[in-house]
This record gives sequence, structure tokens and C-alpha cells, in this order.
Amino acid sequence: MRRVVVLGVMVAGIALLLWAGWHNLRERKLAMQRARESQVVLIPEKQGQAAERGAQSGGEDGGLAPVMRGKQAPAFALTSLDGKKVSLADYKGRPVLVNFWATWCGPCKIEMPWFEEFRKQYAAQGFEVLGLTDDADAGKDAIAKVAQKAGVTYPILLTDGKVQDSYGGLDVLPMSFYVDRNGVIVEQTAGLGSKDQIEANIKKIVASGAVAQTGGQ
Amino acid sequence: MRGGWVAVGLMVGSSLVSQQGNLSAPTAKPKQYVSYAAEEQVVKAGKKSVVELRFRVTEGFHVNSHTPKSELLIPTNLTLQPAGGVKADAVQYPAGTEYSFSFEPGEKLDVYTGAFTVKVPVVVDAGSHTVDGVLRYQACDNAACYPPKSLPVQVVLTAK
Repeated sequence: MRRVVVLGVMVAGIALLLWAGWHNLRERKLAMQRARESQVVLIPEKQGQAAERGAQSGGEDGGLAPVMRGKQAPAFALTSLDGKKVSLADYKGRPVLVNFWATWCGPCKIEMPWFEEFRKQYAAQGFEVLGLTDDADAGKDAIAKVAQKAGVTYPILLTDGKVQDSYGGLDVLPMSFYVDRNGVIVEQTAGLGSKDQIEANIKKIVASGAVAQTGGQ
Repeated sequence: MRGGWVAVGLMVGSSLVSQQGNLSAPTAKPKQYVSYAAEEQVVKAGKKSVVELRFRVTEGFHVNSHTPKSELLIPTNLTLQPAGGVKADAVQYPAGTEYSFSFEPGEKLDVYTGAFTVKVPVVVDAGSHTVDGVLRYQACDNAACYPPKSLPVQVVLTAK
């Protein structure tokens, strides 16, 4: 008799456990469903654009993967702060650092004086820096003011809304592309790196190919 | 025999618990750096009330407050579309907290991190109303910044 009671209690206990688990699971599923429904309300305004950029830049990583490394640097022709037309082709045969930045980006402004310093240091090897401002709303005066404060004398170019996409979409700033003498992107970096790392990348492109001292400004 | 039944019970229970854990696991990295906790707001019809919109900045990131210390920085800003039966007053933003990048300790920023609440004084007619809006913000972490984003928000108001 006692064994029957014990067995009955155990069966009831297991049944209760199963029911509780099933009930809990159902509640969680419903909660997830509700959360997904609310996500539909909260989708980013330009989701299509973001998804497109994500696909180009490696998807889930938010644009941090160096997807342009090893590729030919996309051509561009942009207007500089002083109104000149500047294209990447003007620097054919020279090592070029293409740096995307914005006036609202604190980390960008830290590395700009370093770029200026390295530009002078490696000038004899034909090294050049092109600063591309991903900052359409700021206005030329504000951009010039920030560049001047950072001590920048290298060309600052105004982006046209297309160059960012051709470089894989820019979901993070600063973003830099180290282009060697053959026009190939040897390294791509996102976010503020150390000064030593920046110089190491510059050395890579300076060392590439035959020295060509012609072209550019 | 008894031990066997107990073991079976424990196994069934633990498998259910592990299934629940999988359900709540994050599936994708967010493209937004601020999330909005949508919740229905119940207010008194025809009376001045304050609606609270709760936001949360993703851990490891910060966004400029509504009053950043430099004109170059992009402030956090909520805009609400007009909605019938809802009179909204000027949006009230919380004060930010002081923040400096480790590489630039001298420059003090005014930012929101973690949870922050934006308040909107309203007078609402009786019934249910939906107000749409957008929170515009610009986020950074400790070494990089991210282009300005727009987060759509929807406030469901019930006035009784």
C-alpha cells in the first residue's frame, strides 16, 4: 500500500513538473512573440539602407570587418575645402592614407595630428593623406575650423554620399584605408588605433612597389 | 526503482529549463545603440499629465545628452508628431553625466549612458491615442563613433 502511495506521489510530481515546464515554455514563447511584434514598431528608420550597408560591410559585425583589404581602392573625385577637384587617381603610384572622419567624432580628432606628423615624416617617400569628411550637415566653415585646430594641412575632401558606399559603407568612424603604390588597400582600420599601429600601417604602404614621386599636389 | 523515477523527473525538468534559456538568448547584434521600452501610458482625461518615455543606451556606449558641451556634437533629440486629441508641451530631457575619452581627459562631454527617461507634459482627450515620434542620437564607445541614428518611437496613450 505504502509503495503505491509513494509511486502515486512521484507520478503526480512528475506530471506537475511537466505541466509547469510546458506552461512556462508557452509563456516564454508568447512573450517572445510579443517582443518580436514590438520590434516591428521599433525598426530603424532607414533599415533598408542599413541592411544594404551591413551586407556590403560584412553584416553582423556592424561594418568593422576589413572587407576592403586586398581590393583595389575605389576611385573618387571630390571637392576639397578650398574648392579644388581632387581625385585618388591624382596620387597614382604613391602610398595614400584615405581617412574618413567627422566633426562630431572625438576619436577622429585625436589621430589627425598624428597623420599630419607622419605625412611630413614620410613625405620623401611620396606618402600622402586624404581626409574625407563624412559630415554633410556640418558646413565647410565648421569642418575647416576643426581641421585647423588639429593642425591639418593635408587635403580635406567633402564626401558626396557615394564614396562612403564604394568603400564598403561606414558604420563607424574613424575609418582608414591604407592604399599602396599599386592602388591596393593593404590595411583597413576602424576606430582609434595606437600611434605605433598607424605608423606600422603607413610603413607597409610606403615600402610597397617602386618609388614614384610624381603626381598629386 | 525510486531513484530511477526521481532521475527521470530531474532530466525532464532540466531539459525544459535549458529550452527556456535558449529562448531568451540574444540572436543578433543590434544596429541601434539605444532601445525604447514601449509601454502603454494611462493618464487622466483632460488633465495635465506627464508621459515618461524610457530609453536605454547599450552597455559600453554613450550618446550625447540634449545639451552637449560643443556645438559640433549632435544632441539627443525627441520629436513627436501631432496627434488628434493629444496636446503635447515641450519635451523635458534629463541632465547628462560628465564623460571624457581616456585619450582626451581634458575634454568633458555631457552624455547619457544606461537608462534615461524623457518626459512629455500632455493633456489628452478621453480614449485611446497613438503618438509617433523619433529619437535622434549619436553614439560613441571608448574608441569610435557611429553615424547619427533615428529611433522610431510609438507612445500608446489611454485617457480615462
